[in-house]
Amino acid sequence: MKGNVIKYERDNIDTDVIIPGQYLKIHDYAELASHAMEGLDPAFHSKVKEGDFILSGKNFGCGSSREHAPIALAHSGIKAILALSFARIFYRNAVDGAFLLPIEIDEIAYKNISEGDEIDIDISSNQIKNITKNQSYQMKPFSEIIGKIIEAGGLFKYKPD
Amino acid sequence: MGKTLFEKIWDSHVVVEQQNHPSLIYVDRHLVHEVTSPQAFDGLRMNNRTVRRPDLTIATMDHNVPTNDRSLPILDQTSAIQIQTLEKNCKDFGIQLFDINSPNQGIVHVIGPQLGITLPGTTIVCGDSHTSTHGAFGALAFGIGTSDVEHVLASQSIWLEKPKSFEIRVEGKRKNPHAVTAKDIILSIIKNIGTAGGTGTVVEYTGEGIIDLSMEERMTVCNMSIEGGARAGLVAPDEKTFDYLRNRKYTPKNYESLVQYWRENLKTDSDAKFDKTFTLHIDNIAPQVSWGTNPGMTCDITESIPTPEAYSKGDLNQEKAVEKALEYMDLKSGTPITEIKIDRVFIGSCTNARLEDLIEASKVIKGQKISENVSAMVVPGSQMVKKLAEEMGIDKIFTNANFEWREAGCSMCLGMNPDILLPGERCASTSNRNFEGRQGTGGRTHLVSPVMAAAAALEGHFVDVRKLDLN
Repeated sequence: MKGNVIKYERDNIDTDVIIPGQYLKIHDYAELASHAMEGLDPAFHSKVKEGDFILSGKNFGCGSSREHAPIALAHSGIKAILALSFARIFYRNAVDGAFLLPIEIDEIAYKNISEGDEIDIDISSNQIKNITKNQSYQMKPFSEIIGKIIEAGGLFKYKPD
Repeated sequence: MGKTLFEKIWDSHVVVEQQNHPSLIYVDRHLVHEVTSPQAFDGLRMNNRTVRRPDLTIATMDHNVPTNDRSLPILDQTSAIQIQTLEKNCKDFGIQLFDINSPNQGIVHVIGPQLGITLPGTTIVCGDSHTSTHGAFGALAFGIGTSDVEHVLASQSIWLEKPKSFEIRVEGKRKNPHAVTAKDIILSIIKNIGTAGGTGTVVEYTGEGIIDLSMEERMTVCNMSIEGGARAGLVAPDEKTFDYLRNRKYTPKNYESLVQYWRENLKTDSDAKFDKTFTLHIDNIAPQVSWGTNPGMTCDITESIPTPEAYSKGDLNQEKAVEKALEYMDLKSGTPITEIKIDRVFIGSCTNARLEDLIEASKVIKGQKISENVSAMVVPGSQMVKKLAEEMGIDKIFTNANFEWREAGCSMCLGMNPDILLPGERCASTSNRNFEGRQGTGGRTHLVSPVMAAAAALEGHFVDVRKLDLN
């Protein structure tokens, strides 16, 4: 999974800045996506490209249970969020609906990956390769359960053995 | 080894449990509102599914309903469509709906307990993160996303990885419980454990400081569990709990035998172990005011805005966050909290819009007028709260003081209806989130108790409400 990084160097990116409340009435996902990250970065919609990743700090996605948050990001083209940690409801929504991958990274990756870097994420080996900087980092492996749900393509396609 | 209350509720709701797989948990009550349910009902239709237990599913409209004159049509077309969609979905699938004209309409987390739908020992889910409120009754209650709403509608169950348990002990007694409120207790907790302190856990609030609280105060505490990162927070039920739920509209017919069972079973065993613990001593805590852009950025009324360095204790990410927060909030380090001037006051939300909240706030303003620089509104948590308050003459206390007295809904807590802050406006708000833009683009939120909000409305700035006569 290759793409470029959009970096927000801050903790606690909440669901109200990912998709402000006033847009929760929108049912069209493309229109919803046009307001993604508007609360934090109004330029997001014009700069995001299909296949990009977001890199951020701790407790990404805290706040509301609105599934509109991972949906708005996924329909903007974001394939994965790399963060130091995630709020649980956002993490669950992202995985269960198979909208995007929430990937936990360490401080080394967080510090070294810059805005615009091209990276290659390999979840089978838990490796993140920074093509721009010719570096590589470890991602935190998904738990066994989460890995199975991701492999199935979301919770609704997942069947226990 | 004994079990925690959470583990007991969990164990009694497991449908399927296998090692290294999520567990399938039965859902006793599913609360539905207009914003997070439309796609879930669409999904049911697409797959030719029905609602498995419409009798355990209850809907209301709260997030985007207007709070002014309800005899008028809803001007915002997208809100109107969402409200009509919920009406149609409830009709098509046979779900009980408290619509905009129902005397039982209100914020979903206010009406659940008020109607006796929320019961001890049950599992309760809703497409809203403040579902944790219902934990005050000893229920395992948590917010879910829309995909999960669809799953629960179809199957009355949910796949879950078992969370860890977290005991938050609240020790001691408040010297002035009218001025130092449940809101100040939960803000103090979040200030200490951080906004991610409870991630991956179910909190049980214990100790004298919790047992002393009324049911409505316990709801305020449990409501903001999610602001500390925990999806659910609960309190072991006691006689206060059982008394509160007795003789409500939907209280079960065999209530007394249920009470007997709850009394014996719904408590954490003395030899149970929590995965994590935190203790807060409340003898000397002060009224709290948030100054930043997350609920952890909170301090005592007697303090000043901290410097980014002092607040962050060497965490550079945190330091940057504080700098950005102060810039957004237009505040300077060193400014005393009591010197922060406000433009708006919002008394409302699932955190603090129940009858006791309105009574406490009304004591502050009785016979006085709000500052001419402030505009203020009260949005009762439910139409029933509104009616009870009106029977007590509380609406008149507010309107005589120049507060607006509105119809029930989520209102300015999350800025989905016309009740929003204008860019740059500063609000003393009894709600739960001070995120950037939460109450309207560019709006600045200070989280406070209803008593603090009322005092700020009178003075135009925050004051130490312990100095007021509130008895």
